[in-house]
Amino acid sequence: RVSGTQVKDVVIKPDAPSSLLLDKHADYIAAYGSKKDDYEYTLSEYLRMSGIYWGLTVMDLMGQLPRMNRQEITDFIKACQHECGGISASIGHDPHLLYTLSAVQILCLYDSVSVIDVDKVVEYVKGLQQEDGSFAGDKWGEIDTRFSFCAVATLALLGKMDTINVDKAVEFVLSCMNFDGGFGCRPGSESHAGQIYCCTGFLSLTGQLHQVNADLLGWWLCERQLPSGGLNGRPEKLPDVCYSWWVLASLKIIGRIHWIDKAKLSSFILACQDEETGGFADRPGDMVDPFHTLFGVAGLSLLGDEQIKPVNPVLCMPEDVLQRIGLQPDLLT
Amino acid sequence: MTSSGAPKMAESGEEVDVLVQRVVKDITNAFKRNPNIDEIGLIPCPEARYNRSPIVLVENKLGVESWCVKFLLPYVHNKLLLYRQRKHWLEREALVDITCTLLLLNPDFTTAWNVRKELLQCGVLNPEKDLYLGKLALTKFPKSPETWIHRRWVLQQILRQCSALGRSRKQQGEAGQGDAERSQQLSDHLARTLHQEMKVCSDAACRYPSNYNAWSHRIWVLQHMAKGNVKVFHDELSSMRLWVSMHVSDHSGFHYRQFLLKELITELSQAPASTTISTSSPQHRPSNNPHHQGHLQANGEMSGAEGVCEEERQPGFTVVLQLFHDEMELCTDLIQSFPGHETLWCHRRHVFYLWHHWRREHQHHHCTSNGGTESVNLNSTDPGLAKASERGCEGRGDSVNGQLHATDAMEVDAVSLPDPRDTKRLKRGILSPCPPALPSEHSFVSGVLDSCNSPEQRRFARAYKKWLDTVIGQQP
Ligand SMILES: [Zn+2]
Repeated sequence: RVSGTQVKDVVIKPDAPSSLLLDKHADYIAAYGSKKDDYEYTLSEYLRMSGIYWGLTVMDLMGQLPRMNRQEITDFIKACQHECGGISASIGHDPHLLYTLSAVQILCLYDSVSVIDVDKVVEYVKGLQQEDGSFAGDKWGEIDTRFSFCAVATLALLGKMDTINVDKAVEFVLSCMNFDGGFGCRPGSESHAGQIYCCTGFLSLTGQLHQVNADLLGWWLCERQLPSGGLNGRPEKLPDVCYSWWVLASLKIIGRIHWIDKAKLSSFILACQDEETGGFADRPGDMVDPFHTLFGVAGLSLLGDEQIKPVNPVLCMPEDVLQRIGLQPDLLT
Repeated sequence: MTSSGAPKMAESGEEVDVLVQRVVKDITNAFKRNPNIDEIGLIPCPEARYNRSPIVLVENKLGVESWCVKFLLPYVHNKLLLYRQRKHWLEREALVDITCTLLLLNPDFTTAWNVRKELLQCGVLNPEKDLYLGKLALTKFPKSPETWIHRRWVLQQILRQCSALGRSRKQQGEAGQGDAERSQQLSDHLARTLHQEMKVCSDAACRYPSNYNAWSHRIWVLQHMAKGNVKVFHDELSSMRLWVSMHVSDHSGFHYRQFLLKELITELSQAPASTTISTSSPQHRPSNNPHHQGHLQANGEMSGAEGVCEEERQPGFTVVLQLFHDEMELCTDLIQSFPGHETLWCHRRHVFYLWHHWRREHQHHHCTSNGGTESVNLNSTDPGLAKASERGCEGRGDSVNGQLHATDAMEVDAVSLPDPRDTKRLKRGILSPCPPALPSEHSFVSGVLDSCNSPEQRRFARAYKKWLDTVIGQQP
């Protein structure tokens, strides 16, 4: 019999970073896009659009967006919109809801959604809704509650929520709710912090948060906090900066953020910084990347760090951007 | 392997071109020479060795020397993207080879899978070939979301083909000998595909703990290829028993068990009333779930509940009680043997929750369902029943709530339950499954707290008690 009796957690060393190194992180993100011949860069091209969204959002949260090349990025997005209206991760890749949302989020940061054909984006999203209310990620038909979130988030940012069957969409997401109050990717699937973030975000954007059992779900989410202060995404998994964001944002959405130990979580996130290179890793001492850098900074923002702009828990975008477009997703209190 | 003598420093564009084309060909040839390759991997090797291909085939393992990947991947990557932008034409065979190499190196490259979907639609590739490629990619990247997504698409193609074949035969209206044979072949084919998927999921689950994508795929497969097939669900539950006992931290594996249990209970609880059972063969009792009327079953046999006594009014119920009893017993055993595992305590919550709700929904059947069964006890709230669990961490509990005589009488290997013989014995009152109850759960927790020093175990026990009090206790 295989047994692992040791607690699955990390130990934060006494010399781990304990203050926020904002300048380092801005330099790290600014330099990241310049290594385009890098092997790693090729390997991650299939998600480039989301990568750009992570980088730009964290720069905006740090007040450093002007350091990025706006023209180059909006031209790139324009070139990634396909005949069907959908947007791909990069040039030559196929369109997908995941990257359509990332592109719309980036354009909202730049207040320039008009560089793409918005009507066609709306048609694309609408066309992916299925009879049961669920959304396919692209024309090949994979179903996932993540795609339900992508669809409504895209439409909410474009002010076109009324183009889909919202009631049916809600019905499908609720059919993925589990006995523990959480949500999985499809009906019957295990609860998972990433899916819970998508589903609570979805219910916020559709004005249906009252359908959540907030105490039960809040309980499950709080049980994700480990002695190190970090949060994991499921029982007996290691703590991770990205899951810390998804759990924390979900707690914020359902009005239960005060149920966890904020100070401990904050010190876990700070310990995941790399003092030399800048950026955040999933756990202390690991390699940094833009993905965990965004979620580290966004997490600290939700925890109230005043050096960072306030972040919206539903869309993971700066609150001032959402105010500009007049979008205020619901939160439970 | 000798075909590509790799230049020591492949720096110039032309040299890289030649090198990479050879390597892609070597990979294709390796698959031709050995169609039984079952694993891929990277061989750490910083430099090329003169006159030797970086593609190494040892028995059924295909290895790529690490030095060549930095040339190989960007090359096939760019080639495919140029093709996708219609800037560079590729023959179908070249497309097959290039996407194969690309996906073995970077299986989350969605567009490459999409190219293969198109090749499959126009008949250049067959579904089995793509399931095989995906299986290999999963040996190195067991989580790869796009590989799992592509598998579901391919499986859906297979299901569609099969149901189209089934329909066209029905329309022809011929029920001759050949027709029955074809139907059997089709059903065998689906059963084999289902079996193979289960194997792919198990392998991926062993390679990466709590592999969400592997386990949610497994659930998808059952939902789409074995809906309502009680036998398949029973077999899965039995075969998973050993696996979860050896992976007590694997929350996804336990969630899969919870899924199986829930589906089985739902199926068994809607078993037809006695009148319909006695007129049909008890060995092939058809499910009356409208969902799978006319649905292609991977295994034609719908005999999970075979042996259930015909005159029993709710034959599924005793099996359900047995399932709950066995699951709680397994859970107790594991919690006591492996203290401090959150997964096991989560499992206990889920099973108890399922039981609690099933009991509330079916309480009104109680009187009719245990006509001849003396000790089926839906409401075993007698605190006196809860004794064995008090042993806490020490030793292995024989029973959840202390009805040791019942367990002793079982005499059969719990792994293969529910066995038709048990149900018959159950009927005669020899064997009585003891489902959980709130008092017995509370004394189980007290037992753990009294006897176990592991701080984690104590923390989880207290959280479980709190959960019982608030989530279960406050329900009407
Ligand atoms: Zn992470």
